[in-house]
Amino acid sequence: MKFLPGRRFVLRSASLFMACSLFVAPAWAAQSARDFVNSLGTQLVTIVNSPISLPEKREKVLPLLQKNVDIDAIARYCLGRYWKVATPEEQKEYLQLFHQTLVGAITDKLGDYRGVSFSIGAVTSSGNEDSVETTLVRPQQPPAKMQWIVSRASGSEKVVDVIGEGASLRMTQRQDYASYIARNGGKVSALISALKRQIANHSAAQQ
Amino acid sequence: MNSGRNGARVCSHAQRSNRQNQTHTQARGRFAIRSAVVVCSFMVLAGCSSIKAPVPTDPDALADYKQANDPYEPLNRKIFTVTMKVDKWVLHPVAKAYVWSVPHPVRNAIGNMITTMNEPSVFFNDVGAGKPRLAGDAFVRWCINMSAGLGGLIDVAKMAGYPHHNNDGGITMANWGIASGPYLFLPMGPSSFRDGIGYGIDQGLSPWNYVPRGYGLVSFNWAYNMMGIVHSRSEHLDDLDALQRDALDPYATIRSAYQQQRKAQAEAIKNDHRATVPLWYHVKNRQQG
Repeated sequence: MKFLPGRRFVLRSASLFMACSLFVAPAWAAQSARDFVNSLGTQLVTIVNSPISLPEKREKVLPLLQKNVDIDAIARYCLGRYWKVATPEEQKEYLQLFHQTLVGAITDKLGDYRGVSFSIGAVTSSGNEDSVETTLVRPQQPPAKMQWIVSRASGSEKVVDVIGEGASLRMTQRQDYASYIARNGGKVSALISALKRQIANHSAAQQ
Repeated sequence: MNSGRNGARVCSHAQRSNRQNQTHTQARGRFAIRSAVVVCSFMVLAGCSSIKAPVPTDPDALADYKQANDPYEPLNRKIFTVTMKVDKWVLHPVAKAYVWSVPHPVRNAIGNMITTMNEPSVFFNDVGAGKPRLAGDAFVRWCINMSAGLGGLIDVAKMAGYPHHNNDGGITMANWGIASGPYLFLPMGPSSFRDGIGYGIDQGLSPWNYVPRGYGLVSFNWAYNMMGIVHSRSEHLDDLDALQRDALDPYATIRSAYQQQRKAQAEAIKNDHRATVPLWYHVKNRQQG
């Protein structure tokens, strides 16, 4: 009996362990967010700098984005209060169009850069989200600072926002959509047809 | 007629003081006319019934309305449309031609010069915000770049570890706790009541607006201002093209981005807590104490 640990000991060690994990958890999360952005950034930069053609680059980047960016969460955030107003069909169609728009906007930028590199700065945590500071260095251009917001809400780490020069991309997009819907009779269908037009123009411009 | 340096005519003291008085009266007259025009145009605009948006009654719409902080949206949108037209037909082509004709290193040097010339106004705002270290940075930047940097053309201060930071009257007032007030779209770009007043204060803080008339510097000042507009437009050619292509409502997108950016700029100044004395001073004091 003597060798068995007492109840008090078990409780104490359990509470000590929990207290430790409370302190350690944010640091661990920050470190993992840093590693996550570092790995995603390295993969993206490798594709951007590689000497392959633009369509090939697009093809390679696509699965990377789908795996590491929480596009559905961003889409819902951008629709804001109109998400509840939209019918299930509209929601489904909107999500699909948003995927196309976002991926199109990102892959559009791929051709612009060559010989880029990036470095990671400070990591700050708030709630379920971590903000990772990065500096993108492009030849012949001033370095661009941006913050990547990484969320663990979906179970694994995913990018939910990018902040450049103090402006959050998802917030700006949300205001854009909200204003457009409000000026078009408060109908989500107006936004859906505008997104369709935009995607059509976009693919016409690419050809 | 005899001419001195900088085109100033050589004349007797009495003549000079007489002419100076005249110039002052003329300048004051011009200023009065200009302010009267501005006040009158505002009154005319205020007379229009469509400058203020109706306050929505739906609670969700009201939340959006409050977040956008743009009660003068109808008026702002009108100014925005006109500004964008002018931009499309004048400023955009000029900026494109500028990028096409002027090589990158020269444009870079012009950009450095414009930034350095604005450093006095940044300095006074740093002092106003109570940030001695930032004020020191701006002061050192001005001294180094105006001398070693050949009148600001080379950013030597950045190489020496004093990079440029943004500060202006609007940000200083934000740090004093003054709210931004309603959003405004002015012909020179997005602004707010507070930032508009800040812009006026900055004009007052810039030494270039105190250059006496009759000196060659006045024409330099004009060239500098025009160059500043074209240069800063040329820096945003791709961004604004992409915005006009991708945004469904460019007006709302610019408004949101501007408001967020101003907030972040004010935060950046506020969060600069670097000590004025060097680190070794603290270490030494601790050892002695």
